[in-house]
Amino acid sequence: MADGNAQATRQIGGQKSMITRTIHDMAYNPIRDEIVIPQYFAQAVMTYRGGANGEESPIRLIHGPDTQLTNPQRVALDAVHKEVFVPLEDRVLVFPSEAEGNVAPIRVLKGPDTLLGADALTVDPVHDLLIVAGPRPKGKVEAGASGEASGQVLIFNRTDSGNVKPRSVIAGPKTKITRPWLMANYPPRELFILTVTSVERNSPTDFVGVWSEHDSGDVPPRWTIGGPNQLLRQVRGIALIPQRKEVVVSDKYVNAVMTYHFPEIF
Amino acid sequence: MSKTIPTRAKVRVSIVIALLGTIAAVLAVSGNGIRTAGPVLVAIQPLPEDGEMCPLISTSAESSLFASMLQERSSREAMPSDSARAEVTRRKPVRMIRDPYLAYSAVAVDVAHNEVVMADENLFSIVAYNRLENTPAAAKMSEPKRMIQGMNTELEFECSLYVDPENGDIYAVNNDTLGKLVVFSRQARGDAAPDRSLDTPMGTYGIAIDEKNQEMMLTVQNDAAVVSFRKGAKGQDSPLRTLQGPQTLLADPHGIALDPGAGLLFVSNWGSVNEHRKPASGPVLGSLGRGVGRSNWPIGMPHAVPGSGKFMPPSITVYARSSSGDTAPLRVIQGPKTQLNWPTALAFDPERGELYVANDPADSVLVFKADASGDVAPIRVLRGPKTQIKNPTSVNLDLKNDELWVANFGNHTATVYKRSANGDTPPLRVIRSAPIGAPTPMMGNPNVLAYDSKREELLVAN
Repeated sequence: MADGNAQATRQIGGQKSMITRTIHDMAYNPIRDEIVIPQYFAQAVMTYRGGANGEESPIRLIHGPDTQLTNPQRVALDAVHKEVFVPLEDRVLVFPSEAEGNVAPIRVLKGPDTLLGADALTVDPVHDLLIVAGPRPKGKVEAGASGEASGQVLIFNRTDSGNVKPRSVIAGPKTKITRPWLMANYPPRELFILTVTSVERNSPTDFVGVWSEHDSGDVPPRWTIGGPNQLLRQVRGIALIPQRKEVVVSDKYVNAVMTYHFPEIF
Repeated sequence: MSKTIPTRAKVRVSIVIALLGTIAAVLAVSGNGIRTAGPVLVAIQPLPEDGEMCPLISTSAESSLFASMLQERSSREAMPSDSARAEVTRRKPVRMIRDPYLAYSAVAVDVAHNEVVMADENLFSIVAYNRLENTPAAAKMSEPKRMIQGMNTELEFECSLYVDPENGDIYAVNNDTLGKLVVFSRQARGDAAPDRSLDTPMGTYGIAIDEKNQEMMLTVQNDAAVVSFRKGAKGQDSPLRTLQGPQTLLADPHGIALDPGAGLLFVSNWGSVNEHRKPASGPVLGSLGRGVGRSNWPIGMPHAVPGSGKFMPPSITVYARSSSGDTAPLRVIQGPKTQLNWPTALAFDPERGELYVANDPADSVLVFKADASGDVAPIRVLRGPKTQIKNPTSVNLDLKNDELWVANFGNHTATVYKRSANGDTPPLRVIRSAPIGAPTPMMGNPNVLAYDSKREELLVAN
């Protein structure tokens, strides 16, 4: 397993890759063996071969005015139901995995009842849940609450569309969710994992939190890695390696990728 | 308000192999066992080994994935004990991928003081060396004369540098994580606060300074713009003018260089862009909430036009020095003959009338005539194994000593050549920050991770 000052085994980049310097999320589809990357500036969702290497072009693009894509930063896959989810702050767009070109989304989750804030999301295809993290709507933060109450997690039915209420809302001071960043989930245990960062650079309170998909309300995370005063300082990405019972976390300030043995959640 | 996520500089997807032994990834495993305790693999069905995408997707593939996720217990269980939670909170990583060495992202020569200054995006520092430093092959690395590093410095992912030819002041541009341009005196060292800083638009990248008119020009990736400030601008000062709009053909602009004699501005563009349109009414918002109350601020992401995104070929666009608004370039260098490939930084040679381009993934430096236009070939290409150029992200010219400097993000070096160097020419000197052949993770703000369960690899977007 890569460790220390490791050399990358391959790189995807260069002009033909159509990648830009602003990749804020990425997903791997184990069924189709594909990598999906949102393209922020060109307003596209790009799909690559799983084994892509070097200056390799995407094999598919979702791109064009009918897509409703506006500077997509995050993406999530449902490999079972063959769908791509794109959170766009006040809405979530859903496309078929095989969508290509200037196609309209097949579902749009949007409206005041949704309570979105959609910055990051993950899909549990087994329990048919769409889990969305982002800022709480204005007026929803408790009077006198600190920044720890400024973020939230919303749980919807996977196929929800339009202006629907979430099944549950996880928010409040006990959650310590300030700025939710990226998510993963582990369906066998009905858990989701969220990286939580603060607005501060080099913040000793950044952490990775684990909640149950059944949680609701002002619920503290069941488990946390990092914070306070642990190694994480500006936590960013998250990936799970179930067969090794490991959670991989990236940190901007440490400028590193760290792997934690975390059997408790697998 | 648009929320834009800071990234760093070097963006490419790096895949770090994970040697995981023989256990197949759980997402590629089918199983139907129900457990009340820890996980178990009931059956193992490894994915094909050929590494190619399977064009036909069987229904059973999704079913197998679904079944694998049905294993084990539900988490409708009691909250773990405080002691168990505390132990996990304090847990140390079992592995950490991290480069312990400086990774040079930008270079600028201080001719007056016979020094060279480098920005380092790995350990967040600015370092200065003697201009004639040349790391011996047997040496582990060269130690800098001075290093500026620490929380007070406000340094992070510094992507471009300028050294004032008169007093040696160092101007360093943070790309998009701190949103500041910081200025240090050449005496600064250690965890020194900058002498002054300027709040910049989201995604500011390149810097050029017009000494004659005492102005500085900055490229802005996120807003596809060039903003010009007074050279001494600081704090919340407003730009003097902004060049932005579809007619400009600016598209993910990076490098910038000035031809002071002709009064021309050169900008290198990677090619991705979307349109930001000024609202018919109401305030004009900057990206990531920046620019509130400031005039001439670029129109930000909240005003991005949905579906206006474009992929264009890379280019170098040329403007009159004081161009502003939605002004078309005077000419454009663009096309397959140009060899442009993520053109990341520019330097202009007023003596020879030549434009130098750091061509990052092509491991090359391209040189064009100053009046180049259209689909033209470079007049020189510095590239090849002898050059030691690897992922160049900065070029700088030392006209006094007739030298070209290149910062190589991909191999811990800055390399020096005769200005006229061409082809596969070895450097005159090399400054190295790591042992020869040290691995280069090239991580710069590893914002995103994914796990490729087929190849047992980590995918890291930087």
